[in-house]
Amino acid sequence: MSVFRLLLLLNCALFSLGVYGMLTRRHAIGLLLAIELILNAAALNFVLFGRLFGQAQAQAFALFIIALAACEAVVGLAIVMSLARSANTILADRVQLLKG
Amino acid sequence: MRELACIPLLPFAAFVILIFFGRRLKGVAPFVSIAALAGAIGITCSLLDAVAHGQTLSLRWAWLAREAPLWSVGLRVDGLSWLMLAVVTVIGTLIQLYSVGYMRDDPRASRFFAYLSLFCASMLLLVLADHFVLLYAGWELVGLCSYLLISFWFEKPQAAAAGRKAFLTTRLGDTGFLLGILLLAAVAGELHLDRIEAIRWKLLLQHQGGLLTVASLLVFFGAVGKSAQIPLHVWLPDAMEGPTPVSALIHAATMVAAGVYLVARTLPLFTAESLQIVLGIGLATHLLAGTVALTQTDIKRVLAYSTISQLGLMFVALGAEAVGAAMFHLFTHAFFKALLFLGAGSVIHATHEQELSRLGGLSRAMPFTAGLMLIASVSMSGLPIFSGFWSKDAILLAVGHRAPWLPPILLASAVITAAYVFRLYLLCFHGRGRVPFSPGHAPQGKMDMSPISVGKMDLSPISESPWVMVLPMAVLGLGAIFGGFLGSPATHYAFFHFLGEHVSHEGVDLPLLAASALAAALGFFLAWQIGLQGRVPLPAGLRPLGHRLYELAYHKYYIDELYDLAIIRPFLAMTQALSRFDTSVIDGAVNGAGRLGWELGQLKQRFDQTVVDGFVNGVARAAQRLGALGRQLQTGVIHQYLLVVIGAAVTIALITTW
Repeated sequence: MSVFRLLLLLNCALFSLGVYGMLTRRHAIGLLLAIELILNAAALNFVLFGRLFGQAQAQAFALFIIALAACEAVVGLAIVMSLARSANTILADRVQLLKG
Repeated sequence: MRELACIPLLPFAAFVILIFFGRRLKGVAPFVSIAALAGAIGITCSLLDAVAHGQTLSLRWAWLAREAPLWSVGLRVDGLSWLMLAVVTVIGTLIQLYSVGYMRDDPRASRFFAYLSLFCASMLLLVLADHFVLLYAGWELVGLCSYLLISFWFEKPQAAAAGRKAFLTTRLGDTGFLLGILLLAAVAGELHLDRIEAIRWKLLLQHQGGLLTVASLLVFFGAVGKSAQIPLHVWLPDAMEGPTPVSALIHAATMVAAGVYLVARTLPLFTAESLQIVLGIGLATHLLAGTVALTQTDIKRVLAYSTISQLGLMFVALGAEAVGAAMFHLFTHAFFKALLFLGAGSVIHATHEQELSRLGGLSRAMPFTAGLMLIASVSMSGLPIFSGFWSKDAILLAVGHRAPWLPPILLASAVITAAYVFRLYLLCFHGRGRVPFSPGHAPQGKMDMSPISVGKMDLSPISESPWVMVLPMAVLGLGAIFGGFLGSPATHYAFFHFLGEHVSHEGVDLPLLAASALAAALGFFLAWQIGLQGRVPLPAGLRPLGHRLYELAYHKYYIDELYDLAIIRPFLAMTQALSRFDTSVIDGAVNGAGRLGWELGQLKQRFDQTVVDGFVNGVARAAQRLGALGRQLQTGVIHQYLLVVIGAAVTIALITTW
């Protein structure tokens, strides 16, 4: 078993962990953490394949994803803050504003 | 001769002013109408000279078609018209002056004077007309005014009913008159009053004497209605519901005399047969109304029946072709009957009582009224020297030439006349008041024949009427005393010469004078004995008969009841049957049609609600259902959304990598 395949499996595990966290976490901050995991799994995948095919753009993508993740965290935390203020809770399943 | 037109136009102008501005004029209102009528007197007097010289003044203008001579109408004055003009204007003015006092407290007095003015205008038009149609217009207008004035106090249901009765009854006669005019227009083609002789000869030469009789009788029927002769006399006694000056002016002196004027004017139309009928009806009315007047207990009703009776006497004279005598009696009658009515009005004004059984002893409280009433009564009873004597004398003489059997009958009826008029006078002004004045408690209706007993009338609050009422009465009193001299030997029968009649009988007929005086005295004696003292000079065996006759006359020979039974009730029954037909059949059809439309509308509404609305609502409801279905997906739970997203991503991934 090559190291690539091992790393791919790691990525896959990381991604799956993120998805699992998104589906199971009730806490909004937990959700954000799970998203971070998914993003990082994707970034790691870019780095891995960039290395495999000798392409620099992929590394740049990884950098973009890190910046994007930071932005996402900022926006997400702001949403959580305002949610805590207005709904007095940050449990995601307690807030159903979009219910039709 | 334009001033002729002014005679009716002056009172008409007063009518227009009063009807529009009367309420604003307040106290001046009566004087507008009196001034207008006084102006008419002035014009009338200015015509006297020409008329006395036998001239006929006329004014004619084209009406409708200029080329058709039938339709040029106009006014004309000859002796007959001038006489009527003088009576209407002079008596009208006096009575309007009297009304100033009589109607002082009436809130609608200005309207009263407006109607009086309109009446005078119409009456003057009637006597001035030289064309049948114009005369008919005046004839109808006086009928209208009579209606308006009888029901002047229309708040009283009896007054309103009396006005209606008068209007409808005279309308019956008017219809006959109109038919007569139409018949004349059709067969003679001429309607001018100065062509009456020509019409007569035209028809006689064409051997159409029968048509002439029919036409003259139709015209006479109009006179019967207006002058309250049998069988159309029933309206006049009821007309006494109107204000007393109206009774005096319209229902004694002028309008009811219009029938006499009409027959006098159209006398050439009357054939021997129709003259017989005129005489018969006049005589029947004269006698029957006279006996009814003996029994009535309401002052004004006594006078009403006396008027009917005297008008009957005038028709007797006309039936004997004695136009001069008839008009002479009309002239003197206008004075003393107007005076009697005004005196009665004065009594009513002072006591608010017109039931003879509750009046009495007023001569001390109202000396002027009593004196003037006495003059009028004496004049009417035909005591020599007074005016009534001369006119009755003239009638007796004229009638005696034609029918020798008539004068004795008329003398007998003169006893009746004297009896009722003195009974009225004595019961009103002499004896004692029988029952104290208090409305609502009194033996109404029947006059008992027992001596006067019951209580004493309180005379203290009763006083003589104001001068504005007494003065016109005094002037009429002068007329009632001296008016007769115009047709007496003292003035060489000026009255008859004025009318263009030849006087066949010169000098005083002494036996007749004695008989008249005797009749008047006998009447007075009977009135005093039976009316005032209550003695019945009948043998015991004849009393039941006398009582029955009294009852018969008291109930006016049951003529009103007869009409009620024979005409009014069948008529009402017919109208009710027609009204039932209307409500059941005609209304049923109309309502059925309406109902059909309504039912159809209901049906269409149901179709709209179920089918059309159902379709529209169904579409909407389907969309709603669909939306509800879609809504269930939108739970708002973020984890479910994520599950879907991830499931979808996994599915897509699986499909693409397959």
